[in-house]
Amino acid sequence: MTTPFKLHNIIKRYGEREVLNVDQLSIEGGRISAILGPNGSGKSTLLRIMALLLVNDEGQLEVLGETVKWEKKQLLRLRRQMSMVTQTSFMFQGSVNYNVAYGLQVRKMPKKAVQNRVDEVLEMVGMSAYRDADARTLSGGERQKVAIARAIAVNPHILFLDEPTSNIDISSAAEIEKYIRSINETQNTTIIMVTHNLFQARRLADEVLFIHEGHIIEQGGKTMFEQPRDQRTSAFLRGETFF
Amino acid sequence: MEIFVQGFKEGLYLIWQLDEEILQVTLLSLQVSLTALILSAIIGIPSGAALALKNIPGKRIILNIIYTLMGLPPVLAGLLVYLFLTYRGPFGEYQLLFTPAAMVIAQVLLAAPIICGLTARAVMALNQEVYDTAATLGASRRQASRVIIRESRIGIVAALSTALGRVIAEVGAVMLVGGNIRWSTRVLTTSIVLETRMGNFSTAIAIGIILLTISFLINMFILTLEKRTFRYDNTIQIT
Repeated sequence: MTTPFKLHNIIKRYGEREVLNVDQLSIEGGRISAILGPNGSGKSTLLRIMALLLVNDEGQLEVLGETVKWEKKQLLRLRRQMSMVTQTSFMFQGSVNYNVAYGLQVRKMPKKAVQNRVDEVLEMVGMSAYRDADARTLSGGERQKVAIARAIAVNPHILFLDEPTSNIDISSAAEIEKYIRSINETQNTTIIMVTHNLFQARRLADEVLFIHEGHIIEQGGKTMFEQPRDQRTSAFLRGETFF
Repeated sequence: MEIFVQGFKEGLYLIWQLDEEILQVTLLSLQVSLTALILSAIIGIPSGAALALKNIPGKRIILNIIYTLMGLPPVLAGLLVYLFLTYRGPFGEYQLLFTPAAMVIAQVLLAAPIICGLTARAVMALNQEVYDTAATLGASRRQASRVIIRESRIGIVAALSTALGRVIAEVGAVMLVGGNIRWSTRVLTTSIVLETRMGNFSTAIAIGIILLTISFLINMFILTLEKRTFRYDNTIQIT
Protein backbone atom coordinates (compact mmCIF):
# COMPACT_ATOMS: atom_id res chain seq x y z
CA MET A 1 0.00 0.00 0.00
CA THR A 2 1.25 3.51 -0.84
CA THR A 3 1.82 6.00 1.95
CA PRO A 4 -1.73 7.28 2.46
CA PHE A 5 -0.70 10.63 3.95
CA LYS A 6 2.20 12.99 3.40
CA LEU A 7 2.11 16.45 4.94
CA HIS A 8 4.60 19.17 4.07
CA ASN A 9 4.73 22.44 6.03
CA ILE A 10 1.03 22.34 6.89
CA ILE A 11 -0.15 25.40 8.79
CA LYS A 12 -3.66 26.06 10.07
CA ARG A 13 -4.74 29.26 11.80
CA TYR A 14 -7.98 30.28 13.47
CA GLY A 15 -7.90 34.04 13.10
CA GLU A 16 -4.51 35.17 14.39
CA ARG A 17 -3.92 31.98 16.39
CA GLU A 18 -1.79 29.28 14.79
CA VAL A 19 -3.22 25.93 15.87
CA LEU A 20 -1.22 23.58 13.69
CA ASN A 21 2.28 23.71 12.23
CA VAL A 22 3.52 20.39 10.86
CA ASP A 23 6.86 20.42 8.97
CA GLN A 24 6.89 16.88 7.64
CA LEU A 25 4.66 13.92 8.41
CA SER A 26 4.16 10.60 6.67
CA ILE A 27 1.73 7.94 7.80
CA GLU A 28 2.24 4.37 6.70
CA GLY A 29 -0.59 2.38 5.19
CA GLY A 30 -2.23 -0.68 6.74
CA ARG A 31 -1.32 0.29 10.30
CA ILE A 32 -3.05 1.74 13.33
CA SER A 33 -1.64 5.17 14.16
CA ALA A 34 -2.58 6.97 17.36
CA ILE A 35 -2.35 10.73 17.71
CA LEU A 36 -1.76 11.71 21.33
CA GLY A 37 -1.55 15.07 23.01
CA PRO A 38 -3.08 17.31 25.64
CA ASN A 39 -6.34 19.22 25.10
CA GLY A 40 -6.03 21.98 22.52
CA SER A 41 -2.79 20.58 21.11
CA GLY A 42 -4.18 20.40 17.55
CA LYS A 43 -4.96 16.66 17.37
CA SER A 44 -8.50 17.06 16.05
CA THR A 45 -7.43 19.85 13.66
CA LEU A 46 -4.79 17.52 12.21
CA LEU A 47 -7.35 14.71 11.91
CA ARG A 48 -9.92 16.99 10.23
CA ILE A 49 -7.34 18.24 7.70
CA MET A 50 -6.34 14.65 6.84
CA ALA A 51 -10.04 13.71 6.60
CA LEU A 52 -10.42 16.61 4.10
CA LEU A 53 -12.96 18.38 6.30
CA LEU A 54 -10.76 21.38 7.02
CA VAL A 55 -8.66 23.33 4.52
CA ASN A 56 -5.06 24.07 5.53
CA ASP A 57 -3.87 27.69 5.20
CA GLU A 58 -0.37 26.80 4.01
CA GLY A 59 1.59 23.76 2.91
CA GLN A 60 0.92 20.70 0.83
CA LEU A 61 -1.17 17.66 1.64
CA GLU A 62 -0.86 14.39 -0.24
CA VAL A 63 -3.59 11.79 0.18
CA LEU A 64 -3.25 8.34 -1.38
CA GLY A 65 -0.51 9.64 -3.67
CA GLU A 66 -2.46 12.68 -4.89
CA THR A 67 -1.71 16.29 -4.01
CA VAL A 68 -4.95 17.70 -2.60
CA LYS A 69 -6.22 20.63 -4.68
CA TRP A 70 -9.52 20.96 -2.76
CA GLU A 71 -11.48 20.63 -5.99
CA LYS A 72 -15.00 19.20 -5.75
CA LYS A 73 -14.41 16.09 -7.90
CA GLN A 74 -11.08 15.20 -6.35
CA LEU A 75 -12.43 15.70 -2.82
CA LEU A 76 -15.35 13.38 -3.48
CA ARG A 77 -13.13 10.72 -5.05
CA LEU A 78 -10.68 10.79 -2.12
CA ARG A 79 -13.38 11.05 0.56
CA ARG A 80 -15.05 7.95 -0.84
CA GLN A 81 -11.95 5.99 0.11
CA MET A 82 -12.15 7.02 3.75
CA SER A 83 -14.66 7.29 6.56
CA MET A 84 -14.75 8.58 10.10
CA VAL A 85 -16.19 7.90 13.52
CA THR A 86 -16.53 11.05 15.57
CA GLN A 87 -16.43 11.47 19.33
CA THR A 88 -20.20 11.98 19.64
CA SER A 89 -21.16 9.51 16.86
CA PHE A 90 -23.74 11.84 15.38
CA MET A 91 -26.77 9.89 14.11
CA PHE A 92 -29.09 11.10 11.36
CA GLN A 93 -32.79 11.20 12.27
CA GLY A 94 -34.18 7.79 11.40
CA SER A 95 -33.49 4.15 12.01
CA VAL A 96 -30.20 2.36 12.59
CA ASN A 97 -30.73 0.78 9.17
CA TYR A 98 -31.04 4.23 7.49
CA ASN A 99 -27.85 5.42 9.18
CA VAL A 100 -25.77 2.39 8.22
CA ALA A 101 -27.15 2.33 4.67
CA TYR A 102 -26.46 6.05 4.06
CA GLY A 103 -22.85 5.74 2.85
CA LEU A 104 -23.82 2.92 0.49
CA GLN A 105 -26.85 4.77 -0.86
CA VAL A 106 -24.86 7.89 -1.73
CA ARG A 107 -22.59 5.60 -3.75
CA LYS A 108 -25.71 4.45 -5.62
CA MET A 109 -25.29 0.79 -4.71
CA PRO A 110 -28.22 -1.47 -5.71
CA LYS A 111 -30.88 -1.85 -2.99
CA LYS A 112 -30.29 -5.55 -2.44
CA ALA A 113 -26.53 -5.13 -2.10
CA VAL A 114 -27.08 -2.24 0.36
CA GLN A 115 -29.32 -4.39 2.55
CA ASN A 116 -26.90 -7.32 2.48
CA ARG A 117 -23.99 -5.13 3.50
CA VAL A 118 -26.02 -3.40 6.25
CA ASP A 119 -27.00 -6.82 7.65
CA GLU A 120 -23.41 -7.98 7.48
CA VAL A 121 -21.86 -5.04 9.37
CA LEU A 122 -24.65 -4.86 11.96
CA GLU A 123 -24.09 -8.55 12.61
CA MET A 124 -20.39 -7.91 12.98
CA VAL A 125 -20.87 -5.31 15.72
CA GLY A 126 -23.68 -7.30 17.36
CA MET A 127 -26.40 -4.74 16.59
CA SER A 128 -28.67 -6.73 14.23
CA ALA A 129 -31.54 -6.65 16.72
CA TYR A 130 -31.53 -2.84 16.63
CA ARG A 131 -31.91 -2.50 12.84
CA ASP A 132 -35.31 -0.78 13.02
CA ALA A 133 -34.69 1.14 16.24
CA ASP A 134 -34.55 4.95 16.31
CA ALA A 135 -30.81 5.66 16.10
CA ARG A 136 -31.11 8.63 18.45
CA THR A 137 -32.48 6.59 21.32
CA LEU A 138 -29.45 4.28 21.55
CA SER A 139 -27.04 4.36 24.46
CA GLY A 140 -23.52 5.79 24.04
CA GLY A 141 -21.95 2.37 23.50
CA GLU A 142 -24.66 1.24 21.07
CA ARG A 143 -24.33 4.47 19.12
CA GLN A 144 -20.60 4.02 18.86
CA LYS A 145 -21.04 0.48 17.56
CA VAL A 146 -23.53 1.70 14.95
CA ALA A 147 -21.14 4.51 14.00
CA ILE A 148 -18.38 1.96 13.49
CA ALA A 149 -20.69 -0.28 11.45
CA ARG A 150 -21.71 2.75 9.35
CA ALA A 151 -18.08 3.72 8.77
CA ILE A 152 -16.84 0.23 7.81
CA ALA A 153 -19.90 -0.55 5.66
CA VAL A 154 -18.32 1.47 2.84
CA ASN A 155 -15.08 -0.59 2.96
CA PRO A 156 -12.78 2.39 3.49
CA HIS A 157 -9.03 2.29 2.80
CA ILE A 158 -8.60 4.76 5.64
CA LEU A 159 -10.65 4.95 8.83
CA PHE A 160 -10.44 7.96 11.14
CA LEU A 161 -11.47 7.60 14.76
CA ASP A 162 -11.83 10.71 16.90
CA GLU A 163 -11.88 9.63 20.56
CA PRO A 164 -13.91 6.54 19.67
CA THR A 165 -14.39 5.32 23.24
CA SER A 166 -14.34 8.51 25.29
CA ASN A 167 -18.01 8.50 26.25
CA ILE A 168 -18.56 4.81 26.93
CA ASP A 169 -17.97 2.27 29.67
CA ILE A 170 -14.96 -0.06 29.87
CA SER A 171 -16.64 -3.21 28.55
CA SER A 172 -18.14 -1.40 25.54
CA ALA A 173 -14.75 0.23 24.93
CA ALA A 174 -13.10 -3.20 24.96
CA GLU A 175 -15.59 -4.44 22.38
CA ILE A 176 -14.97 -1.42 20.17
CA GLU A 177 -11.22 -1.97 20.42
CA LYS A 178 -11.80 -5.55 19.29
CA TYR A 179 -13.63 -4.33 16.17
CA ILE A 180 -10.93 -1.75 15.44
CA ARG A 181 -8.22 -4.39 15.56
CA SER A 182 -10.28 -6.81 13.50
CA ILE A 183 -10.95 -4.23 10.76
CA ASN A 184 -7.24 -3.46 10.54
CA GLU A 185 -6.20 -7.10 10.46
CA THR A 186 -8.86 -8.52 8.13
CA GLN A 187 -9.18 -5.65 5.67
CA ASN A 188 -5.76 -4.04 6.00
CA THR A 189 -7.51 -0.71 6.63
CA THR A 190 -5.27 2.18 7.66
CA ILE A 191 -6.62 3.46 10.96
CA ILE A 192 -5.78 6.87 12.36
CA MET A 193 -7.16 7.56 15.80
CA VAL A 194 -7.09 10.50 18.15
CA THR A 195 -7.23 9.40 21.75
CA HIS A 196 -6.65 10.69 25.25
CA ASN A 197 -6.39 7.17 26.50
CA LEU A 198 -2.73 6.18 26.76
CA PHE A 199 -3.55 2.58 27.63
CA GLN A 200 -5.77 2.29 24.59
CA ALA A 201 -3.06 3.75 22.35
CA ARG A 202 -0.59 1.29 23.81
CA ARG A 203 -2.94 -1.65 23.24
CA LEU A 204 -3.93 -0.76 19.70
CA ALA A 205 -1.40 1.42 17.94
CA ASP A 206 1.47 0.30 15.74
CA GLU A 207 2.63 3.88 15.48
CA VAL A 208 2.27 6.80 17.89
CA LEU A 209 2.41 10.54 17.22
CA PHE A 210 2.74 13.00 20.05
CA ILE A 211 1.51 16.50 19.27
CA HIS A 212 1.91 19.59 21.43
CA GLU A 213 0.94 23.21 20.69
CA GLY A 214 0.32 22.30 17.05
CA HIS A 215 3.75 20.72 16.48
CA ILE A 216 4.57 17.04 16.07
CA ILE A 217 7.01 16.46 18.90
CA GLU A 218 7.65 12.79 18.40
CA GLN A 219 6.62 9.97 16.06
CA GLY A 220 7.55 6.35 16.54
CA GLY A 221 6.56 2.84 17.47
CA LYS A 222 5.35 1.52 20.80
CA THR A 223 8.85 1.96 22.22
CA MET A 224 7.89 5.61 22.60
CA PHE A 225 5.93 4.63 25.70
CA GLU A 226 9.05 3.24 27.40
CA GLN A 227 11.75 5.41 25.88
CA PRO A 228 10.40 8.78 24.84
CA ARG A 229 13.03 10.94 23.18
CA ASP A 230 11.55 14.30 24.11
CA GLN A 231 11.06 15.46 27.68
CA ARG A 232 7.59 16.87 26.83
CA THR A 233 6.47 13.43 25.64
CA SER A 234 7.96 11.93 28.74
CA ALA A 235 6.11 14.41 30.98
CA PHE A 236 2.83 13.81 29.12
CA LEU A 237 3.18 10.03 29.50
CA ARG A 238 3.82 10.47 33.21
CA GLY A 239 0.74 12.66 33.48
CA GLU A 240 2.74 15.70 34.52
CA THR A 241 1.98 19.30 33.69
CA PHE A 242 4.59 20.70 31.34
CA PHE A 243 2.94 23.69 29.75
CA MET B 1 -73.27 34.00 21.96
CA GLU B 2 -76.42 33.47 19.94
CA ILE B 3 -74.74 34.93 16.89
CA PHE B 4 -71.95 32.35 17.12
CA VAL B 5 -74.41 29.47 17.45
CA GLN B 6 -76.42 30.87 14.54
CA GLY B 7 -73.20 31.27 12.52
CA PHE B 8 -72.15 27.72 13.29
CA LYS B 9 -75.55 26.34 12.28
CA GLU B 10 -75.53 28.40 9.11
CA GLY B 11 -72.01 27.24 8.31
CA LEU B 12 -73.04 23.60 8.57
CA TYR B 13 -76.14 24.36 6.49
CA LEU B 14 -74.06 26.08 3.77
CA ILE B 15 -71.65 23.14 3.66
CA TRP B 16 -74.57 20.66 3.66
CA GLN B 17 -76.37 22.58 0.89
CA LEU B 18 -73.16 22.83 -1.16
CA ASP B 19 -74.11 26.42 -1.96
CA GLU B 20 -72.70 27.07 -5.43
CA GLU B 21 -71.24 30.47 -4.64
CA ILE B 22 -69.66 29.32 -1.37
CA LEU B 23 -68.21 26.32 -3.18
CA GLN B 24 -66.70 28.53 -5.88
CA VAL B 25 -65.27 30.95 -3.30
CA THR B 26 -63.83 28.07 -1.26
CA LEU B 27 -62.26 26.42 -4.30
CA LEU B 28 -60.74 29.73 -5.43
CA SER B 29 -59.35 30.33 -1.93
CA LEU B 30 -57.76 26.90 -1.98
CA GLN B 31 -56.43 27.36 -5.50
CA VAL B 32 -54.87 30.77 -4.77
CA SER B 33 -53.43 29.90 -1.35
CA LEU B 34 -52.06 26.47 -2.29
CA THR B 35 -50.51 27.79 -5.53
CA ALA B 36 -48.90 30.63 -3.55
CA LEU B 37 -47.70 28.18 -0.89
CA ILE B 38 -46.16 25.79 -3.45
CA LEU B 39 -44.45 28.62 -5.36
CA SER B 40 -43.20 30.13 -2.09
CA ALA B 41 -41.82 26.74 -1.01
CA ILE B 42 -40.05 26.33 -4.36
CA ILE B 43 -38.45 29.76 -3.88
CA GLY B 44 -38.08 29.80 -0.09
CA ILE B 45 -36.68 26.36 0.85
CA PRO B 46 -33.65 26.29 -1.51
CA SER B 47 -32.87 29.98 -1.02
CA GLY B 48 -33.17 29.69 2.78
CA ALA B 49 -30.91 26.61 2.82
CA ALA B 50 -28.39 28.29 0.50
CA LEU B 51 -28.40 31.42 2.65
CA ALA B 52 -27.63 29.32 5.71
CA LEU B 53 -24.98 27.12 4.08
CA LYS B 54 -23.03 29.49 1.85
CA ASN B 55 -20.60 32.21 2.83
CA ILE B 56 -22.30 34.99 0.89
CA PRO B 57 -20.96 38.55 1.32
CA GLY B 58 -23.46 40.65 3.28
CA LYS B 59 -25.21 37.54 4.61
CA ARG B 60 -26.20 39.26 7.85
CA ILE B 61 -27.81 42.17 6.00
CA ILE B 62 -29.65 39.79 3.65
CA LEU B 63 -30.98 37.84 6.65
CA ASN B 64 -32.02 41.08 8.29
CA ILE B 65 -33.95 42.07 5.14
CA ILE B 66 -35.61 38.63 4.94
CA TYR B 67 -36.65 38.78 8.60
CA THR B 68 -38.07 42.27 8.02
CA LEU B 69 -40.02 41.01 5.01
CA MET B 70 -41.48 38.23 7.19
CA GLY B 71 -43.48 40.98 8.85
CA LEU B 72 -44.39 42.79 5.62
CA PRO B 73 -47.85 44.35 6.05
CA PRO B 74 -50.24 42.62 3.59
CA VAL B 75 -51.68 45.95 2.46
CA LEU B 76 -48.19 47.16 1.57
CA ALA B 77 -47.51 43.93 -0.35
CA GLY B 78 -50.81 44.44 -2.14
CA LEU B 79 -49.95 48.04 -2.93
CA LEU B 80 -46.56 47.06 -4.41
CA VAL B 81 -48.12 44.36 -6.59
CA TYR B 82 -50.90 46.80 -7.56
CA LEU B 83 -48.34 49.41 -8.66
CA PHE B 84 -46.46 46.85 -10.74
CA LEU B 85 -49.56 45.39 -12.39
CA THR B 86 -51.68 48.48 -12.86
CA TYR B 87 -52.31 49.70 -16.43
CA ARG B 88 -49.47 52.24 -16.16
CA GLY B 89 -47.13 49.93 -14.23
CA PRO B 90 -44.14 48.02 -15.65
CA PHE B 91 -46.19 44.82 -16.08
CA GLY B 92 -49.48 46.50 -16.97
CA GLU B 93 -49.48 45.05 -20.48
CA TYR B 94 -50.08 41.53 -19.07
CA GLN B 95 -53.46 42.65 -17.63
CA LEU B 96 -53.08 40.62 -14.46
CA LEU B 97 -54.63 43.12 -12.05
CA PHE B 98 -57.95 41.91 -10.55
CA THR B 99 -57.24 38.31 -11.52
CA PRO B 100 -56.40 35.30 -9.30
CA ALA B 101 -52.84 35.43 -10.72
CA ALA B 102 -52.33 38.86 -9.12
CA MET B 103 -53.60 37.45 -5.81
CA VAL B 104 -51.09 34.58 -6.06
CA ILE B 105 -48.24 37.03 -6.73
CA ALA B 106 -49.19 39.12 -3.68
CA GLN B 107 -49.39 36.04 -1.47
CA VAL B 108 -46.02 34.75 -2.70
CA LEU B 109 -44.55 38.11 -1.71
CA LEU B 110 -45.87 37.49 1.80
CA ALA B 111 -45.14 33.77 2.17
CA ALA B 112 -41.76 33.33 0.43
CA PRO B 113 -39.79 35.42 3.00
CA ILE B 114 -41.40 33.42 5.85
CA ILE B 115 -40.37 30.09 4.32
CA CYS B 116 -36.91 31.41 3.37
CA GLY B 117 -36.24 32.97 6.79
CA LEU B 118 -37.50 30.05 8.87
CA THR B 119 -35.71 27.50 6.64
CA ALA B 120 -32.45 29.45 7.05
CA ARG B 121 -32.98 29.46 10.84
CA ALA B 122 -33.75 25.74 10.93
CA VAL B 123 -30.63 24.90 8.89
CA MET B 124 -28.41 27.25 10.93
CA ALA B 125 -29.59 25.56 14.12
CA LEU B 126 -27.92 22.32 12.99
CA ASN B 127 -24.42 21.32 14.01
CA GLN B 128 -21.36 21.09 11.76
CA GLU B 129 -21.50 17.37 12.60
CA VAL B 130 -24.38 16.80 10.17
CA TYR B 131 -22.28 17.89 7.19
CA ASP B 132 -19.13 16.22 8.49
CA THR B 133 -20.90 12.90 9.01
CA ALA B 134 -22.45 12.97 5.53
CA ALA B 135 -19.16 14.06 3.90
CA THR B 136 -17.07 11.40 5.66
CA LEU B 137 -19.57 8.78 4.53
CA GLY B 138 -18.92 9.82 0.93
CA ALA B 139 -21.78 12.25 0.22
CA SER B 140 -21.24 14.80 -2.53
CA ARG B 141 -22.00 18.45 -1.70
CA ARG B 142 -25.46 18.08 -3.21
CA GLN B 143 -26.15 14.86 -1.29
CA ALA B 144 -24.87 16.45 1.94
CA SER B 145 -27.09 19.51 1.37
CA ARG B 146 -30.06 17.19 0.92
CA VAL B 147 -29.35 15.45 4.21
CA ILE B 148 -29.01 18.84 5.92
CA ILE B 149 -32.47 19.84 4.64
CA ARG B 150 -33.80 16.46 5.77
CA GLU B 151 -32.37 16.98 9.25
CA SER B 152 -34.00 20.42 9.50
CA ARG B 153 -37.33 19.15 8.19
CA ILE B 154 -39.28 19.78 11.37
CA GLY B 155 -38.33 23.46 11.14
CA ILE B 156 -39.20 23.53 7.44
CA VAL B 157 -42.63 21.97 8.10
CA ALA B 158 -43.20 24.67 10.72
CA ALA B 159 -42.23 27.26 8.09
CA LEU B 160 -44.79 25.81 5.65
CA SER B 161 -47.53 25.81 8.30
CA THR B 162 -46.74 29.40 9.28
CA ALA B 163 -46.74 30.49 5.62
CA LEU B 164 -50.04 28.69 5.03
CA GLY B 165 -51.55 30.50 8.01
CA ARG B 166 -50.35 33.77 6.56
CA VAL B 167 -51.74 33.28 3.03
CA ILE B 168 -55.04 31.59 3.81
CA ALA B 169 -56.03 34.21 6.39
CA GLU B 170 -54.77 37.13 4.33
CA VAL B 171 -57.28 39.77 3.27
CA GLY B 172 -55.61 43.15 2.67
CA ALA B 173 -53.44 42.25 -0.30
CA VAL B 174 -55.97 40.04 -2.10
CA MET B 175 -58.62 42.71 -1.65
CA LEU B 176 -56.34 45.32 -3.25
CA VAL B 177 -55.06 43.30 -6.21
CA GLY B 178 -58.04 40.99 -6.63
CA GLY B 179 -60.81 43.51 -6.10
CA ASN B 180 -63.22 41.03 -4.43
CA ILE B 181 -65.14 40.53 -7.70
CA ARG B 182 -68.04 38.10 -7.41
CA TRP B 183 -67.52 34.81 -9.33
CA SER B 184 -64.03 35.97 -10.27
CA THR B 185 -61.69 36.99 -7.43
CA ARG B 186 -63.83 36.70 -4.31
CA VAL B 187 -62.22 34.40 -1.75
CA LEU B 188 -63.27 33.32 1.76
CA THR B 189 -61.51 36.16 3.60
CA THR B 190 -62.83 38.91 1.33
CA SER B 191 -66.31 37.33 1.60
CA ILE B 192 -66.10 37.65 5.40
CA VAL B 193 -65.28 41.36 5.05
CA LEU B 194 -68.17 41.84 2.62
CA GLU B 195 -70.73 39.95 4.71
CA THR B 196 -69.65 41.81 7.89
CA ARG B 197 -70.02 45.17 6.14
CA MET B 198 -73.51 44.11 5.00
CA GLY B 199 -74.42 43.16 8.56
CA ASN B 200 -74.72 39.42 7.77
CA PHE B 201 -72.70 38.43 10.81
CA SER B 202 -73.86 34.83 10.97
CA THR B 203 -72.91 34.25 7.31
CA ALA B 204 -69.51 35.85 8.00
CA ILE B 205 -69.00 33.47 10.94
CA ALA B 206 -70.13 30.55 8.79
CA ILE B 207 -67.52 31.39 6.15
CA GLY B 208 -64.95 31.78 8.95
CA ILE B 209 -65.72 28.24 10.12
CA ILE B 210 -65.20 26.93 6.59
CA LEU B 211 -61.86 28.81 6.42
CA LEU B 212 -60.67 27.36 9.73
CA THR B 213 -61.77 23.85 8.73
CA ILE B 214 -59.80 24.08 5.48
CA SER B 215 -56.72 25.35 7.32
CA PHE B 216 -57.08 22.51 9.86
CA LEU B 217 -57.32 19.90 7.10
CA ILE B 218 -54.32 21.23 5.16
CA ASN B 219 -52.21 21.35 8.33
CA MET B 220 -53.32 17.81 9.14
CA PHE B 221 -52.10 16.75 5.69
CA ILE B 222 -48.72 18.49 6.23
CA LEU B 223 -48.30 16.87 9.66
CA THR B 224 -49.28 13.46 8.28
CA LEU B 225 -46.56 13.80 5.65
CA GLU B 226 -44.08 14.69 8.39
CA LYS B 227 -45.23 11.76 10.50
CA ARG B 228 -44.84 9.39 7.56
CA THR B 229 -41.28 10.56 7.02
CA PHE B 230 -40.36 10.41 10.69
CA ARG B 231 -41.81 7.40 12.38
CA TYR B 232 -40.03 8.37 15.55
CA ASP B 233 -41.32 10.61 18.26
CA ASN B 234 -39.32 13.80 18.72
CA THR B 235 -41.05 14.83 21.89
CA ILE B 236 -38.73 15.82 24.73
CA GLN B 237 -39.68 13.72 27.74
CA ILE B 238 -40.14 15.93 30.79
CA THR B 239 -40.69 14.08 34.03
